[in-house]
Amino acid sequence: MRRTSVRTFVVAAFATAFVIGPAAAADYPARPITMVVPFSAGGPTDTVTRLVAEAMGKDLGQQIVVENVGGAGGTLGAGRVAKADPDGYTLLLHHIGMATSATLYRKLPYDTLNAFDYVGLVTDVPMTLVARADFEPTDLKSLIEYAKANKDKVTYANAGVGAASHLCGMLFMSKIETVLTTVPYKGTGPAMTDLLGGQVDMMCDQTTNTTNQIKGGKIKAYATTTKQRVASLPDVPTAEEAGLPGFEVGIWHGIYAPKGTSPEVLAKLTASLQTALKDPNVIKRFADLGTAPSSEAEATPDGLKAKLSSEIDRWAPVIKAAGVYAD
Amino acid sequence: MKVDTREIACGAIFIAIAAAFAIAALDLPMGSALRMGPGYFPMALALILAALGLIIVIKGLGRAPSPIGGVPWRGLLFILLAPLVFGLTVRGLGLAPSMALVAAIATLASARAGMKLAAAMTLGLTLFCVLVFSYGLGLPYALFGPWSAPFLPGV
Amino acid sequence: MDLLANLGLGLATATEPVNLLFCFAGVLLGTLIGVLPGIGPTATIAMLLPITFGFEPATSLIMLAGIYYGAQYGGSTTAILINLPGESSSAVTAIDGYQMARQGRAGPALATAALGSFFAGTVATVLIAVFAPPLTAVALKFGPAEYFSLLMLGLVASVALAHGSVLKALGMIVTGLLLGLVGSDVNTGAQRFTMGFPELADGLNFVAVAIGVFGIAEILRNLENETDRDVMVKKVTNLFPSKADFKAMAWPVVRGTAVGSILGILPGGGAILSSFAAYTVEKRISKTPHRFGKGAIEGVAAPEAANNAGAQTSFIPMLTLGIPANPVMALMIGAMIIQGVQPGPNVAIEKPELFWGVIVSMWIGNLMLVLLNLPLIGLWVRLLTIPYTVLFPAILTFCCIGVYTVNSNAFDLFTVSAFGLLGYVLVKLDCEPAPLLLGFVLGPMLEENLRRAMTISRGDPMVFFTRPLSAGLLIAAALVLVVVFLPAVRAKREEVFQEEG
Repeated sequence: MRRTSVRTFVVAAFATAFVIGPAAAADYPARPITMVVPFSAGGPTDTVTRLVAEAMGKDLGQQIVVENVGGAGGTLGAGRVAKADPDGYTLLLHHIGMATSATLYRKLPYDTLNAFDYVGLVTDVPMTLVARADFEPTDLKSLIEYAKANKDKVTYANAGVGAASHLCGMLFMSKIETVLTTVPYKGTGPAMTDLLGGQVDMMCDQTTNTTNQIKGGKIKAYATTTKQRVASLPDVPTAEEAGLPGFEVGIWHGIYAPKGTSPEVLAKLTASLQTALKDPNVIKRFADLGTAPSSEAEATPDGLKAKLSSEIDRWAPVIKAAGVYAD
Repeated sequence: MKVDTREIACGAIFIAIAAAFAIAALDLPMGSALRMGPGYFPMALALILAALGLIIVIKGLGRAPSPIGGVPWRGLLFILLAPLVFGLTVRGLGLAPSMALVAAIATLASARAGMKLAAAMTLGLTLFCVLVFSYGLGLPYALFGPWSAPFLPGV
Repeated sequence: MDLLANLGLGLATATEPVNLLFCFAGVLLGTLIGVLPGIGPTATIAMLLPITFGFEPATSLIMLAGIYYGAQYGGSTTAILINLPGESSSAVTAIDGYQMARQGRAGPALATAALGSFFAGTVATVLIAVFAPPLTAVALKFGPAEYFSLLMLGLVASVALAHGSVLKALGMIVTGLLLGLVGSDVNTGAQRFTMGFPELADGLNFVAVAIGVFGIAEILRNLENETDRDVMVKKVTNLFPSKADFKAMAWPVVRGTAVGSILGILPGGGAILSSFAAYTVEKRISKTPHRFGKGAIEGVAAPEAANNAGAQTSFIPMLTLGIPANPVMALMIGAMIIQGVQPGPNVAIEKPELFWGVIVSMWIGNLMLVLLNLPLIGLWVRLLTIPYTVLFPAILTFCCIGVYTVNSNAFDLFTVSAFGLLGYVLVKLDCEPAPLLLGFVLGPMLEENLRRAMTISRGDPMVFFTRPLSAGLLIAAALVLVVVFLPAVRAKREEVFQEEG
């Protein structure tokens, strides 16, 4: 008798805290979902994740907890999710680094194209080509001429090997067929500080970090790396308008699940992502970041899968030509 | 001749650390003083450290020995074991059992701790941590992981 | 005057009941969690960040700022009570604060930290309000060459951190510098000393190293003579500083505030240096430098004041430029973005009530911190009377969780054990851990700025001498070096240390 009551108590106590066993897709999600961000808390990717996680959690009726698993350019967090149970309770939100690390790292602990199922694209944050406020060239054309004429003098800052600012710089240099002096920093924060202080000449960074500085007149912008002008920076031309077609880079973000997640769960997650991307608060915050939610067609498994494989193919030659690897 | 083993050991450790870094730095491109490669700065530091270690050894050769004192071997073993066990089990067993293990191992590090104290500490600390970290702060870690599942009553 | 109107606006925002309430809640939560060993301000804010998402932007930032200094003060408390710094700045507080605690003077040490912090916080708040924009301009003059020279000055002066053999202190600093280089090389991406572990690509985790060399080593040292004593401190003399204590701490607090305020403004790690620098200054100008490391109250007062002043003025680059000076500021910027506030030069113009509200609430938060903590000192001190066999397993458990929360990475826990062993061996051989930690923080900064300066100058080393600020700092470093190794001074120093041995 006593054993039974103890057992009942234990069962009751544990049952309130969590649920064990494979949750049927029908009652998914039955407990909080963990969304892994492969970067430290407070960065732009973390911000995007928290915004989306909150909105998706509201829609799913379960909290989505953001877990920061930083390290090794995002590959540690991605590796963690690749090995996680495909039960829909561990997801990954990663940016363009998902595609570039496939080339930047010669030995990855996971197979980028085959280790994940896809939920959908979230957003594509544009980048801007900027320079210190008192830098001579006035527009992109004169900048290119100036850079070619003074290639020993112009310094280009980036946020370290594999960072978006590094990729953007590599693409710029390959487009204008000129190699500039690259000054690497640990993260965009210190790089931006030195740009503001006039210690370096130019850099390329996402609108999240540059919009306010450009509007405040602390740095000058030559072009955005997008097809259309950015809504928050209407006066800045696109690279194509300014005379450098094909100079397009965006920091796109996607949500992934471990390979083997059931189609029903994936469908639920995709639907929830689509709802979240229509949330007025998310749209407004994204606009503040200088970006917009992905379209309904992109915020799908196929949309993300196509983006990932095309981006892998696109960056591999650029990275290989530069001969830069992160390991 | 008087020899201060403590000083010699200290210098030797510095030299060993310097050697380890220097050997690893050999694989890295050195560059030059004007265009430093990734290996330049660590190699320079390793050489400085080795020199410091050498001076400490030499100074220790002519000095009276100083006592090092006892080593709590039991404590050393258990205390160093606790973080390892936590790291190895936190994902598999989950936060709660893993914390219980750490608390038990840590308590037993003391030569004066008996089983009774260990049990009490384990229970108390685990309860406190679960309340504070899982419920209070909402840390995103599962209280019980996949390895714990077979031991739990099914629902 | 604009300033008064702005401060008035800020005061109106900060004293709204809801803001006062959450400022207090932030300070309280920050203190309580920061006091848990192994959990510093960064971890605390990261954990509590989601709570603030639902608030108004000003309320949210005010609460986060409250958590920040609450956690910082809580971290100093653990540094003093159990020799466990939660972050680099309180590593210095641990040197003399812990010695005071062992002598039964934990109360005065904690009160000194609280009062010193409050004074520094008050001065720094005024500085921010009056000088934020011009100070930002000065901070931007610091390029890689200046940083390198500043770090050289810091390293040369840091010998003062030693309270034993100078040679060993130097050895520990260089060891720390080397350990700081572990990870990806910023310039080339080459993996250095990672032994093939991808977890080491971003370097060793500071919290794990600090807990290893300070915390674990200290626990082991205490277990050595376990049979002698059960309780850490047998008698607690008085809780509050005596008149003599107040006299001894007054000037160090003022000097620490000055040092911290200046260094805190520098984006990219100036604040880290502030407590080390303040300690160095005190030991240099003290008539009785041999007391340092043995429970000198100046050794607690100056770095705590510097640390808090630096924490406060590090808001300047964050608020005026949108640039994080440290990981905590990075989290604050993330919080601002989530709240729909774009950090940057326009915040003060577009959202004056937010900008000035946060500044005024800093002072209010500091006031609350003092009011909250002075009565709590008695409680904290009583913690020391808990039998050690009960206390240290709790410390160790909290440390494990604290380390794990930083990156959710088991590898960091292995680091704790490895550095615990190394720390214990080195302590046995009379090597102090503080210089090692200083080197660990400075190593990557020193190398990066050296190489960056050389890249920008295209390999011309004269850049360090032709830029006036950089040249001035290097001259200062040379002077310190001369003073340290001048025969007369050296003889006096040796004499001082012979007494110790």
